[in-house]
Amino acid sequence: MDDLGVDHAIVCPVRTRGYHLAASNEAIAEAVSASGGRLTGVARVDPLLGDDACAELERALEALGLRGLFLHPWEETFRIADGCVAPVVEVARQHRVPVIVAAGYPWLSEALQVGALARRFPDVTFIATNGLQLNISGLGQIDAELAIAENENLLIQTSGVYREDFIEGIARRFGAHRVLYASGYPIFDPRLEIRRVQWAAFAMPDEAAILGGNAAAVFALAEG
Amino acid sequence: MIVDLHLHIDDLPALGWKLEAAECVRRMDEAGIERGVVMTIVDAPEINPNALEFVADACAAYPGRLDAFARIHPWYGEQALALLERAFALGFKGLKLHPVSTLAHPAGRETLQLIRSAAEHSAPTLFHCGDEPLATPLTVSKAAAACPQATIILGHMGGYFHVDEAIEVAEAHENVVLETSAMPYPGKIGEAVARIGASRVLYASDGPACSPRIEVEKVRLAGLPPDAEHLVFSGNATRILDGVR
Repeated sequence: MDDLGVDHAIVCPVRTRGYHLAASNEAIAEAVSASGGRLTGVARVDPLLGDDACAELERALEALGLRGLFLHPWEETFRIADGCVAPVVEVARQHRVPVIVAAGYPWLSEALQVGALARRFPDVTFIATNGLQLNISGLGQIDAELAIAENENLLIQTSGVYREDFIEGIARRFGAHRVLYASGYPIFDPRLEIRRVQWAAFAMPDEAAILGGNAAAVFALAEG
Repeated sequence: MIVDLHLHIDDLPALGWKLEAAECVRRMDEAGIERGVVMTIVDAPEINPNALEFVADACAAYPGRLDAFARIHPWYGEQALALLERAFALGFKGLKLHPVSTLAHPAGRETLQLIRSAAEHSAPTLFHCGDEPLATPLTVSKAAAACPQATIILGHMGGYFHVDEAIEVAEAHENVVLETSAMPYPGKIGEAVARIGASRVLYASDGPACSPRIEVEKVRLAGLPPDAEHLVFSGNATRILDGVR
């Protein structure tokens, strides 16, 4: 972050070697606490655990002070539009926090699947990683645009996006407020990822919003 | 010097795409790229029967800056072979195959005919090689094994999820070259160079939609030794392109 001039980051729990997302949530809370205000943490739960997932999210948001929900359908192996996801999103909705979805994974978090979830919760802000699509033919981009067009509450991150003109096009057609810079570290390289925004053809106010203003608004960072 | 081995030009109203040679050259200039290889999005003779002439005209407009690969649909059999020969007569430098677009298996009989025909001109075959069925590294490796005399370039070096597999395939087949475009991990370029040698890894952008400037930065972030970086940026591509008969 210091090398690239990044002031603040949203940090998400990684998958642990065991199956202890609660411990990961606690590690995130500790990192946030030690960061001098530079990190905001979100909680990760496995919706397949049902009531236990809801309880863990409640604990993470209330006792640990985390500020959002992170769902990784690929690593926890659930379909993002499956019924099991709704209860944990409902908890997020009640706490008025955003939901980050690891998106673009085949069969589990494709663009229109994420869009279907977003449609069920119009008052929840969803943030999809990877521009909603991980396909190096660009085959997922039309569905990504449809999902964005159909759901005002669906935003995208820029991490790892194939084709920079996709990011530019989303900002141009749907508004720069729909796009958030993210590095996806450690999967992706922040030194490269930040260039996708800095070297794209954005007007200066849009670039500033994408690099930080939008995230500050979604995560209420000024209130943090 | 930098050579970009993978750029696109085409005019596809159905996709809303108009990728012009001038835009390729503008983005090449922006990234410090001296020489680029352009190809269509469609697979001749489908959609645009005059695709070869379209590409040849674009290259003629930028002498010394643009070379051409012929993107051809293998299922057209003898017509496809004739198109490839016509491409070489027009000065094209290689064959591009996109199995996700054509549904032609990389090791299918018609595909192998085209690859072997290109190899007779010492010309490479650039495969789209990502995460989709028909285009994974192991699938394309069947063509590399069947055509050991051909230079097989794995475009995107496996995409998002198949990069390690692309490196393994290159380790197993000495006629396989890895091409860096759009693959998002700078560190994997360094790993590929360490494992298969710098002479079989080359830079490309998949521009102009993918930013050639960002793609150049990606290779630089790999932190290669200067001699290796030279090979990746231009030495390997120049050797391959200039060897075509």
